[in-house]
Amino acid sequence: MTQDARVQEFVTAFDGLRAEVEKVIVGHREIITHVLVGMFAGGHVLLEGVPGLGKTLLVKTLSESLELSFARIQFTPDLMPADIIGTNIIVEDSEGRKHFQFQPGPIFAHVVLADEINRATPKTQSALLEGMQEASVTVGGASRPLPAPFFVLATQNPIEMEGTYPLPEAQLDRFLLKLRVRYPAIEELNAIIDRTTHAHPVSVERVMSGAKVMAFRELIREVPVASHVRDFASGIVMATHPQWADAPDVTRRFVRYGASPRGAQALILGAKVRALAEGRYNVSVDDLKALAAPALRHRVILNFEGEAEGIDVDNLVSQIVDGVEASSARTKEPFLR
Amino acid sequence: MAHPETLDRLVRRVAAQVRWRRAEHHALRGAFWASLPAVVVIALKGPIGPRAIAIAAALVVGGVLAGALWGVLKRTADADAARLADRAFGLEDRVATALEWAERPDRTPLVEALVRDATARVSALSPRTIVRRIVPREARFLPVPVLAVLVLALAPPVPMPSGRLPDFTPGTEEEEKEARTGSGELEQRAPRENRDPLRPPSFEEREFAARSGAASASTAGDLSAVFKDTSLSSQRPDFNSFLKKGDERLKLLEQVDRLPDLASDFTASQYKMVFKKSKALSSGMRPNDISPKKLKELLEEMERLGRKGGNWNSDVGEGMEALEGGQTDKAMEAMQKALDKMRAQEEAQRGGKGLRGGRDNDRSGGGRERGRGEGGGAEDQDFGDGEGLLPGKGKSNSPKGEASRRLQASPYDVGVEGESRRGRKDGYDTNMTGRGGQMGSRLQYLGVIGQYRKMMEDAITRESVPRDYHEQIKDYFQALDER
Repeated sequence: MTQDARVQEFVTAFDGLRAEVEKVIVGHREIITHVLVGMFAGGHVLLEGVPGLGKTLLVKTLSESLELSFARIQFTPDLMPADIIGTNIIVEDSEGRKHFQFQPGPIFAHVVLADEINRATPKTQSALLEGMQEASVTVGGASRPLPAPFFVLATQNPIEMEGTYPLPEAQLDRFLLKLRVRYPAIEELNAIIDRTTHAHPVSVERVMSGAKVMAFRELIREVPVASHVRDFASGIVMATHPQWADAPDVTRRFVRYGASPRGAQALILGAKVRALAEGRYNVSVDDLKALAAPALRHRVILNFEGEAEGIDVDNLVSQIVDGVEASSARTKEPFLR
Repeated sequence: MAHPETLDRLVRRVAAQVRWRRAEHHALRGAFWASLPAVVVIALKGPIGPRAIAIAAALVVGGVLAGALWGVLKRTADADAARLADRAFGLEDRVATALEWAERPDRTPLVEALVRDATARVSALSPRTIVRRIVPREARFLPVPVLAVLVLALAPPVPMPSGRLPDFTPGTEEEEKEARTGSGELEQRAPRENRDPLRPPSFEEREFAARSGAASASTAGDLSAVFKDTSLSSQRPDFNSFLKKGDERLKLLEQVDRLPDLASDFTASQYKMVFKKSKALSSGMRPNDISPKKLKELLEEMERLGRKGGNWNSDVGEGMEALEGGQTDKAMEAMQKALDKMRAQEEAQRGGKGLRGGRDNDRSGGGRERGRGEGGGAEDQDFGDGEGLLPGKGKSNSPKGEASRRLQASPYDVGVEGESRRGRKDGYDTNMTGRGGQMGSRLQYLGVIGQYRKMMEDAITRESVPRDYHEQIKDYFQALDER
């Protein structure tokens, strides 16, 4: 198969998967695209939004569109790590001898929905850490690999903070993208009403296998990135650090901690998927700009002044990107240098 | 892998455009800077002769050529030209990426597809000029020297000084007579202006400076500026009367606290500004003789400020009526009421920052209420002027009860009193009385406040504090820090 055909196959598969999800989910096209970007980039996605916006439905629909196993974990304060990763139980064999047998938890699925992840205690939340980063979990001293592809989609509610445990930075950093699900427009709301109160529910077809997902992940890593585009990504990430010598004023004033190197990786990987999904063979600066907010909004930690002033991290990231773009060599007139 | 010839051609074309634009840019700069010496040369065409025009023209042409040559010879990086082409033709970094990756040994199979894609897109483009012209800053001023060159070239030569002093010898008998008479007067006047040999020269200079300052506007370093806001600003210093009864200025200078504070900025607070004016009005050289005109001006100003959202206009109106009826005292009372309201409103607007002021009103109940503003309650009145929440003072949340009461109840208990002063401070020296009096201690005020502020920042970001409270919490710590 030629490279053109491989890319064309990916574009078709990406569009087909998105179309399947859009059969159920009204609007939120950008959210759906970014969820798929996260999945093909090999990362995990955190969905944040008020209740009733279709976060869980989106994940369920996506899992139904894939020929992959799916598990849903409803996070509650009394959820224990063993409830997620599994535990050893005593079983009796045919000869009457007892031995321990590992009973895998719901994390041993291809697509895992961690619903309302911030309702569980940090101890339980951290049970996901190893699985998300290493694609394996350690139970009883034995490391057990998780199935590939392994994709965690977590949801959380930003307003009902009472009785919740906000995710620590280390946990947040494990998510490739954090997406904010907005309230739908009135036309979308009308379409939701029509679609969900209809007598015949919409059925979703399985359009992609796990093997295909893995093959596409390999293809995505082959997308070339020019050095000036890579420099732009590094510049954005560095500009989120208030300690950096060339950090913009807005960062120095409102940011406590900037994005980690995982932020730069997320930017580039996400941009690669986006470029390929558009049938392009290279990453452009515009891809990075489109992915900057989802990849960095949960990695930039505001300081007290930023919190007190009610600074929106998305706006902050946007200002940082604009600043980096203005100061980068790309926007300077090269013939005057 | 095939070399991307089409992409190279595009880059070369863009690089040529870049060089051409650079040549234009630097040629204009060269023209400007070369025209400056050309102006000088043309101005000297008298001594230089007819060659001056040729030299000036050669200078300008030389400048243009040198600039253009510099622009053409400057190196243009292929990567820069490729990025410029990508941007101008909307190629989304295809050309720059393809050119960079085509030669790399670690290129992926997708690079070949990328080069083909980029080549196909570039082939479909119609060539056009994509590098915009950037006019240098100097070009805006270029007409000035060029015009000067033209005018000077057409004008007659500028007469040059010959190096001799002008001839002042009288030409006629009358001039000679006038000169003689004038010199005689000078000789007669000279002895009157003789300096007093006993007076030191520095004293004479001071006198001269003071007189010139009174006659004209004050200049930088002029000490008379301190009288700007006083009734003495329009008076000339009279040093003869000073010898008899004392100069009013020197008297005023002795009263340091009555001089205007030039360092402080009263414009930041409406209340302070008006208060200062009212104080100046009632505490001038003749405090019992208040000028109704000045009082009216002040009331009018307060009325103007009140129209922007103040609640003191009724008092100002009363004052104006009283003033029209010739009752200056009543007008002053009304003005004082309006001032109180202005202060109360300003305190209320400042919210938690208005911790100061409890002692301004003699710590009397009514005075406190007025000083603390409308939002101040009785519980807040423990804040003294310049005092913070000192140990043993203020409302305590301690389950043991208020420290001050415990101190009164038990004579053996240890009381801690802080010594404070106005303004920002590093720490409190705490005087221990009772058993602890043997051991001095120092409470690091700023250190403690810094620690608490840091803890508060951590807490507010880690835990869910309602957003509405953020500003209040911030204001509170800001107020503590300002103390």
